[in-house]
Amino acid sequence: MPSSELTGTRDEVDSARAGSVRLDHVTHRYGRGGEGFTAVGPVDLTVPAGQFLVLVGASGCGKSTLLRLIAGFERPTGGSVRVSGAEPRPGGTAGVVFQTPRLFPWRTVRGNVDLALRYAGVPRAQWPGRRAELLARVGLEGTEERRVWEISGGQQQRVAIARALAAENPLLLLDEPFAALDALTRERLQQDVRRVTDRTGRTTVFVTHSADEAVFLGSRIVVLTRSPGTVALDLPITLPRGDIDAEELRGSREFAELRARVSHAVKAAAAA
Amino acid sequence: MSTTSRLLTPDTSAAPAGVPPERRFPAGRAWARVRHVALPFGSLLLFLVLWQLLAASGTWSGTLVPSPAEVWDAFVAVSTTHDGVRGYNGTTLVEHLGISLRRIAIGAGLGIALGVVSGLLMGTVGWLRSLFEPWITFLRTLPPLAYFSLLVIWLGINEEPKVTLLAVAAFPPVAVSTTTAVAAVPRSLIEAARALGASRWDVVRDVIVPSALPETLTGVRLAVGVAYSSLVAAELVNGLPGIGGMVKDAANYNNTPVVLVGIIAIGVSGLIIDGLLLRLEHAVVPWRGRA
Repeated sequence: MPSSELTGTRDEVDSARAGSVRLDHVTHRYGRGGEGFTAVGPVDLTVPAGQFLVLVGASGCGKSTLLRLIAGFERPTGGSVRVSGAEPRPGGTAGVVFQTPRLFPWRTVRGNVDLALRYAGVPRAQWPGRRAELLARVGLEGTEERRVWEISGGQQQRVAIARALAAENPLLLLDEPFAALDALTRERLQQDVRRVTDRTGRTTVFVTHSADEAVFLGSRIVVLTRSPGTVALDLPITLPRGDIDAEELRGSREFAELRARVSHAVKAAAAA
Repeated sequence: MSTTSRLLTPDTSAAPAGVPPERRFPAGRAWARVRHVALPFGSLLLFLVLWQLLAASGTWSGTLVPSPAEVWDAFVAVSTTHDGVRGYNGTTLVEHLGISLRRIAIGAGLGIALGVVSGLLMGTVGWLRSLFEPWITFLRTLPPLAYFSLLVIWLGINEEPKVTLLAVAAFPPVAVSTTTAVAAVPRSLIEAARALGASRWDVVRDVIVPSALPETLTGVRLAVGVAYSSLVAAELVNGLPGIGGMVKDAANYNNTPVVLVGIIAIGVSGLIIDGLLLRLEHAVVPWRGRA
């Protein structure tokens, strides 16, 4: 198994650390009997704390399902999912960013972030400071009073990221968050996500179908086969992290090679 | 048709070269003013003229079709004290209306409150909906007059049957629209709240209630409308003072001008209340249609 090769003997220690994810022989079926179908599995995967894992695969390979299982929205029909050593439950273990922003239209930008702070149990007196800090982290200073339908799609997704970061969960899950955005906005947000997660050192699981996005963001890439999704390729990414020139990184030969390799693996896995 | 379309859409081909397009928009705006102000008032004026002509032609007796002037006189008479008689039956028009509005406020208020609560319950708990929805549908199809007699037998002839009738009439529209709205709350938003750590109660308060609010308010407007149209029925027995009672009483004496005054008063006040509710809706749910 490539994954155990990567994490080695640290598996046992890591699987209980805050933010670590451990999938043991996870399968998931939708529906019952002959009409049901297996979306995922079996998947064995260990994500040590602090890793930026990108799940890549063609549409319908079960990568979103896998993320929902890690978020605790669904229980796997087989195997076990452990986050920080315990069974995941929504809101308790991970911040989640969805494909669409899913903001509450009856609340302003401020209202959306404040709601997240309240659910996270942050004392009301700390809200203004924390809110300002969160909005600054996603580059949304000065938009607090805006209605969420007045701001652009990219800004909406930034609010969603700020909201997901509010609880300071050690794990952040993102499900194709930039798929609906234009290329320019997408690249800018990719840089922001890379920066935010690097700085805070939280574990991240990011789902995408784009090889380019995967190589740019991930410290490790897992390619899934078509449904039922299983691990087809498990690839550590050793591109430099921290404060880097995104243009230079994207233009580098290593980047191009990795992107080609991931892209090839995705196509091969989808055809299989 | 061709005139209106030419007025509504700036026709570039017909415009002389060099005229900026915004110069031609005032024509469109003038048409909008005609359409939204002049046409409604024009139709009202035309109606009054036709009415006057009809009354003056003598085709029908004055008892059946009184002239606009007679109705105006009746309006003045029921609004003031004259010859020692105060308004209609000792109560002025505004007081009749006020008493009826109070009944509507209490009755429809009760029905709306009950409708919102049961809608929330039925929308969230599936088996409650299955249990109660047939009854509410049944109640909704009944004309209020059908159960008014029963209410009089049970509750007497004072305020209780009137307020109850209005409550029973206002309840179903709100209950139905709230149930539908609650059941249709996007799962994606509930999930987003849960992912942020919301409890069950948090989800109800912060997602389900605000998300269902626009539809619920539509139900409230509908309910007030239904209560309004049940007003005369509610005041059929011992309805004086009250605007519906006034209409009923005047009808007993073939006092057509007062009947018309009452009908117009009910209609105009109903329009005003609906307009206020519409403004409330815009103020409370500005996100409507933007989610």
